[in-house]
Formats: sequence, structure tokens, C-alpha cells
Amino acid sequence: MNKKEISLSNRAFHIFNTIVWAVVMFLILYPLYLVVIASVSDPDAIVKGEVIWHPVNFSLVGYKAVFKNSELLRSYGNSIVYTFLSVVISIGVTLSAAYTLSRPKFKGKAAINLFFVFTMFFNGGLIPTFLVMRDIHLYNSPLVMILMGCVSVWNLMVARTYIQSSIPHELYEAAMLDGASHFQYFFKIVLPLCKTIVAVLAVYYGVAKWNDYFTGLVYLRDRNLLPLQTILREILATLQVDKSSYMMTMADNAESMAEAMRVANVVKYCVIVVATGPVVILYGFMQKYFEKGVMIGSLKG
Amino acid sequence: MKPDNAKSKVKKKGGGKEYWKNNWQLYVLVLPAVIYFFVFNYLPLYGIQIAFKDYKAVSGIAGSAWVGLKHFKEFFNAYYFKRLLSNTFLLNIYYLLWSFPVPVFLAILLNQLRGPKKKRFIQTTIYVPYFISTVVLAGMLYIFLSPTSGIFNIIREAMGLQAIDYMSDAGAFRSIYIISGIWQAAGYGTILYIATLTGIDQSLYEAAEIDGASIWQKIRYIDLPSLVPTIMMVFILDCGKLLSSDTNKALVMQTAGNIPTSDIIGVYVYNVGLGTGQFSYTAAIGLFINLINFVMIIGVNRISKKTTDVGLF
Repeated sequence: MNKKEISLSNRAFHIFNTIVWAVVMFLILYPLYLVVIASVSDPDAIVKGEVIWHPVNFSLVGYKAVFKNSELLRSYGNSIVYTFLSVVISIGVTLSAAYTLSRPKFKGKAAINLFFVFTMFFNGGLIPTFLVMRDIHLYNSPLVMILMGCVSVWNLMVARTYIQSSIPHELYEAAMLDGASHFQYFFKIVLPLCKTIVAVLAVYYGVAKWNDYFTGLVYLRDRNLLPLQTILREILATLQVDKSSYMMTMADNAESMAEAMRVANVVKYCVIVVATGPVVILYGFMQKYFEKGVMIGSLKG
Repeated sequence: MKPDNAKSKVKKKGGGKEYWKNNWQLYVLVLPAVIYFFVFNYLPLYGIQIAFKDYKAVSGIAGSAWVGLKHFKEFFNAYYFKRLLSNTFLLNIYYLLWSFPVPVFLAILLNQLRGPKKKRFIQTTIYVPYFISTVVLAGMLYIFLSPTSGIFNIIREAMGLQAIDYMSDAGAFRSIYIISGIWQAAGYGTILYIATLTGIDQSLYEAAEIDGASIWQKIRYIDLPSLVPTIMMVFILDCGKLLSSDTNKALVMQTAGNIPTSDIIGVYVYNVGLGTGQFSYTAAIGLFINLINFVMIIGVNRISKKTTDVGLF
């Protein structure tokens, strides 16, 4: 190829590339945009299919219904509490175990590693786990929401790799020569240097916990304890089957059943915004840690 | 590492007692994690025995009567056995085949994009769907695919076509599952590939340019070969979880209409096990699939270690 052909071929590439990204961006952003504009539109306009590019007959009736729905609000509060407590525990347990596994002289490392890693490949399965949890009285307890899934082997390995690779070994040597114990070294030196990995773990554990509906569905019977996502499932994914319990609670607040049905059309969009908005905004702040987690995880651990 | 070896020799003279005196705190630090996995992963293994028993709530896990392989035989002879197994396999294999190449292409194209600001914006945006929960994703599917007010059917009607109730269509379930899965995870999947691409020595590109290579050629002869080890690693990881498809997502997407294709083993175990209380029977099904999965992970890992030297463990 001569120079002219190359520059022509490169220009063709850039045009192709620009088109691909325009399409990809549209495919990612438009559904999210559509949810947001529909959430502030009039329910009737949504049903008629008029809301496509911009809000139609701006209305906050959906959000009003959401914030009046005590069950939804309670589940929102539950999710905040579950997520916060769970993330704190997760980070504490993960980092301390990761510290131990990162010590080269730790005896029993192979055995404990195997003990952890085995759980990635084999588990009891849903039913045996359910029955055992019931036997040890974790069924229908808020504890199950906080503790289940609070340590992930993957995250543990990420944290271990991080401690091994980014905290200089000389620090350890110096601390040990000064007669520091592992506790002192871990709390006074390692933890303050772990800000990055704490942020990484907070992102991964936090998102997983906030987005989990299944644990609540399986392990909770008391509706007052349900997390947001489990309630959302009833609103978003079972509307087609029957309008059941959710519509009942809505009817108490609205003038009539018919009005409740009408508002329900926009409520679907509002709950998505209310449930997902905070996570996406938080991601905006934590973005670099999100990428970092994947990168550290890919290092040979 | 080196100074440490010297020290440990000194330590060894001190014998076991001194080791414990200096290091017992390590065991305290790892203890919470050990307890966690014991309670949430190893205790349930004890519960697996009910797959070989007739579980009765009054008798408990240990006290129920042994029945041998009765539940396994019943499952293998059930008329829906084949359907469950093929649904599970097909959903996962199709998903892997369709979703796997997408992040590779996206990463290569993103890497060639000019303008760091534009690049940054795109990179930030393509991760966003990863943060959307399973329930919300499924909810959006119900909304957008609704036969009355969904955007797809609005378009269809505008073109004079009849509305389709996609979510109740068994023929559409797999496509919806796969496409929405790609929408959600492809951006996230690019992270590793982008990292590999940014790690490529820039002088390679410069040399190629001097030799008169076009961008297409640079991609073909520099980018793709550099990505191969990462591609292999991700592929092995994905193969390892081939059967542990996203039960949670299929469960929220299941409707009366799409059961013929959406009934995968995980969903069936949930519906029948917790819905109708057939604990022993569904525990047996769960154990069966877990065993297949386990063998597959070990097998895939073996093969990949032999052929490419990339392995998980």
C-alpha cells in the first residue's frame, strides 16, 4: 500500500470506529435516559407510548407515590443498614485474613488457602444451605442479610495480592526489629496504607449487597425485614402475573384502585431511578477503584 | 523476600514455641474468615446428605431416613430431565459464545479512539450497566418489551406490525437473556483487555507505522496477538462457570409463557424446592449439577494448563 491508500484506509477506520461508538453509547444510555424521562412524565402519556425523547406532561406523581409507600421506604432503609454493616464487616474480615495470608512465614498457609479456594468450586447448593441456615436460626433473621456473602474468596485474593505487592517489605522488617506484634503492624502500618484496597472492596461488596434480591427472597419471611431489591422484584417483575400485594398497599394511599393502577405505570420508572441512582452516582466517585479491583485481581496471586 | 529467608533461619533455631509466641496473632486475624466459610460454606456441605434421604422437618437433617439414590433416579427418569439439562446447557453455551468476543472488539476499538477526553467519557459510561441490579435490569426488560407500552412494540406498531409479548415468548427468552447480559457486562469485560492494550510497547506501533502499516494491520498483527493470553485466561474462567448460569436473572425473567426455555436447573430447584417443599429431591438435583460443574472446572483447568500454561490453580 502506498501512503495515500494507508491514510484512506485509516480514515475509513476512524469513521467506522466513530459510528460504532455512537451506536454503543446510544444503546447504553438511551434505556437509562428513557427510564429517567418516563419517571417524570404523566402516566397516561407513558401508556400511550408518547414518551420517547423527552418528558411528556411533566409530573411528579410517581415519585410522590414512591415516597408515600411505607413498605418501599422501609425496605430502602433496610437496604442501607444491611449494606453499611455488611460492608464494614466484609472489609474488616477480608483485610485481616488477607494480611495473614500475605505473610510469607505463616505456617498453614497452604491449608487455609485450600480451605478458602475450595468454596469457589463446590458448595452445598441452595436447598442444603437453606435447611442448615434454618437449623442454626439464621432464617428470617436480619443477620443473614448482613452476613451471607460478606466474604468473597475473590476479593480476599485481591486484597492479599495488594498487601503483598504494594506494601514494602522493608516496613515489615523494620517493624519486627522494633519488636512490633502482628496486631500493631497490621493496625498501625498496614491499614493506613490500605486506603485504595478499602475503596476497591467497598465498591465490590457494597454493589453486590445493595443489588442482591435473592437472599431476601429465600431467607426472609417477615416483610418488614425485606431489602429494597426484593420488594422491587414484586413491583417490577411480577406486575404481569398479578398486581397482588403491591397494588393493595398503593390503593390505601391513592383515591381509588383505578387511580392506583394508573399511577403504577409511572411508579415502575421512579423506583428504578430511586434504587439505581445512588449507586451510579457513587460509582462516578469511585470509578478508578472499580477498575483497579479488576486489575489487581488479574495479577498472579 | 531475601532478608526474610535469613531471618526465618534464625527463627527456626527458636523452635515451634517461639514461632507461636511471635505469630499467634496471625491466626486470630484469619479466624473470622475461617469461621465465616465454615458456617456459610462448609456447614451446608453437611446438609447435602438430605439428597440421599427423605427429609422430614420433624426428624431434621441427621434424623431423616436414608433412601440411597432414589431422588437421583427419579430425576434422571423425569420427563422434564432432558429439557432442564438442555435448557441449562444451551443458555450458557449460547451466552458464552455470543458475549465472549464483544469486550475484545470494544477494547480494541476503544484503544484506537483519538482524544483522551472522549476515551475517558466512553470508558466511564460503558461500565455503568454493570452497577444495575438484576431486578432492575429485568424490570427494564419488562417495561421496554411490554406488548402495550414498550418501546419495541411502539416501533413495531409504527411500522404496521403486530405487537409481540416478548417476555411471554419461549422463542425469545434466550435472545433477551443474552442480549441484556451483553448490555450489562460487556463494558466491564473490557477492563482487562484495555489494560493489556495500554501495556503494549508504543515503539511497536511506531515501527509498524514506519513500515507503512494501516490501523487495521496494527490491530491484526499487534493488538490481537498481544491479547491472546488475556483472552485465554478469561475464556477459561468463563468455561469454568459454564453451568452456574445466572439463576437469579433467569428467575426474575421467567414468566408463564417462556417456561419451555427459561426453566433451567437453578430456577427449577428454587421453584420446586422452596416453592413446594420437595427438599430432598431438589437437593439431589443441585448436587448433580454441582458435581458436573466441579468436574468441568477441574477439567478445563487441566487442559488449559497443558496447552497454554494458564491455569486458575
